[in-house]
Amino acid sequence: MASRPRKRRKALGGLAPIAFISLGLYTLWVIYPVFASATLSLTDARTNRQTMSFVGLENYTRMFSDPRLGRTFAFTLIVTILVTLVSNVGGVLFAMMLNNQAKNYKVMRTLAFIPQVLSGVVVAFMWRMMFNQNGLINSSALKYGWLDAPINWLGTREMATFCVCVTVAWASTAFCTVVYMAGLQSVPPELMDAARVDGAGPIKRFFNVTWPMLAPATTTCVVLGLIGALKLYDILAVLTSGGPANSTNSLAYYVIAVAFGNGHTGYGAALGILLLVLTAAVSAIATRILRKRETNL
Amino acid sequence: MNAKLASRSGRLAGGWVVTAVFCFPIYLAVVNAFKANAQIKSDPLGLPNPFTFSNVITALSRPDHLIQTGLVNSVVITSATVALLIPLSSATSLWLFERSARVKGILTGIFALGLMIPPQVGLQPTVQVLKAMGLMNTYPGLVLVGISGGYFAFAVFVYVGFLHTVPKEILDSARVDGAGDLRVWWSIVMPLMRPATITVAIFVGLWTWNDFLGPLIILGPTQGQTITVAMYLSLGASAVSTDYGQVYAITLIAALIPLIAYLFCQREFVAGLTSGAAKG
Repeated sequence: MASRPRKRRKALGGLAPIAFISLGLYTLWVIYPVFASATLSLTDARTNRQTMSFVGLENYTRMFSDPRLGRTFAFTLIVTILVTLVSNVGGVLFAMMLNNQAKNYKVMRTLAFIPQVLSGVVVAFMWRMMFNQNGLINSSALKYGWLDAPINWLGTREMATFCVCVTVAWASTAFCTVVYMAGLQSVPPELMDAARVDGAGPIKRFFNVTWPMLAPATTTCVVLGLIGALKLYDILAVLTSGGPANSTNSLAYYVIAVAFGNGHTGYGAALGILLLVLTAAVSAIATRILRKRETNL
Repeated sequence: MNAKLASRSGRLAGGWVVTAVFCFPIYLAVVNAFKANAQIKSDPLGLPNPFTFSNVITALSRPDHLIQTGLVNSVVITSATVALLIPLSSATSLWLFERSARVKGILTGIFALGLMIPPQVGLQPTVQVLKAMGLMNTYPGLVLVGISGGYFAFAVFVYVGFLHTVPKEILDSARVDGAGDLRVWWSIVMPLMRPATITVAIFVGLWTWNDFLGPLIILGPTQGQTITVAMYLSLGASAVSTDYGQVYAITLIAALIPLIAYLFCQREFVAGLTSGAAKG
């Protein structure tokens, strides 16, 4: 009996070839590109010329004088923070509302989870059709007299930013609802009954029982929400293409525009590294804070 | 008693109102796909009257067959990615599960990075490698990147997480029979890991189907595209599209297959989404 674990340690060596092939592919398509990007970011490489030379940190110092990067950074943070906040609050409330075994609620859950399976492109087209100058929101509001003049939803900085946040938050609320729903089902009913017996009202029960019990779900939703918002690309491409006047150009969107649109390989790589550092920092900090909260249960 | 009944029906009504508001964009896309443009303009919120398939027919009778080609390409690319990723990642996970704590720790850390790295970061070198291999602008190139990137890391987390829940005695007894390692993996452990495989298949399938940036860059605009990118190419990046019926019809066509899959295997979908999300 005692020798068995020792034997098992060396076990399944026959799978090593498959594992090594997989690890090789993973290195080639995930690890190598990051280091290669870091290297490229130290050069003046461009797609329209054959040669490149080492320029040190020039691409990084160039960021400080890039007139677009300030707004890009601000927009990225606004969308990331707002979307994470709204989709988590909305997700918890929605999940609590739909957490019922009756048949009606089952149908509601089926409907509410749909955005989760739609692509960003589909989601963005659905909302673009509503936000258009003569889209559904404007035409209905004018028809029923809720508005005197059409609102240029996607045409101004503030409104376009708002529209992007609404669209992304909608899709990510559906995701958070799914996760929080699973979290709610793991809250022991005895705990709720005990709180009820102690005379705790619904609000007190939420903050003292439900919300702390949802801590692991919150970690999942917040961390994945932050990472998802930081790498967001498809919704921006369809909804605003980064406009008007560069106002909804996120860092992830800008990386692609510089690298593949302008062909500035070196600078694009440097912006990519900036995105990587930002994502790593944000997800590490969020994970640390939220995990601590989980253990405080 | 009456108060309790009233509060219950109040909650039910509230639930329906919130759900209806939340799903309103979906309702609009569905009803407007089957209306003539004139009715979309005059009555955007109402049900189709008369009901028409003309938008769908127009979308499917484009001379370039962008939509049909896109659907076929998406089905082929998604199936190939899922079918290759499952054996690769499950075998790697089982192998990893049997390694020492140190090897496990290092590799888990490296895979965790893969989940976090935004796809934009390494895309330029990825394109360079694909070009060097002669796989740029090809379907095999897109599938190869798909099976070995972040999706692979995700699959390993799901499988290894699941293996921790399998009683050790079962894995042990599998080995006593003297079956070869490949047989232990494929005939004994794989059936045990079915729930994890379903989770991986749902997630990776959905992500591959819905991916935009990968096919956009790797396949390029001149190649036959996936349905997600084809939709973007056919409807244009500009916010001014006049043929609303077209936009709605193509939106519906692009969403149809994931939607049907979701409605038919809802239980697996939700279970997969929640367990997978906890891993990711």
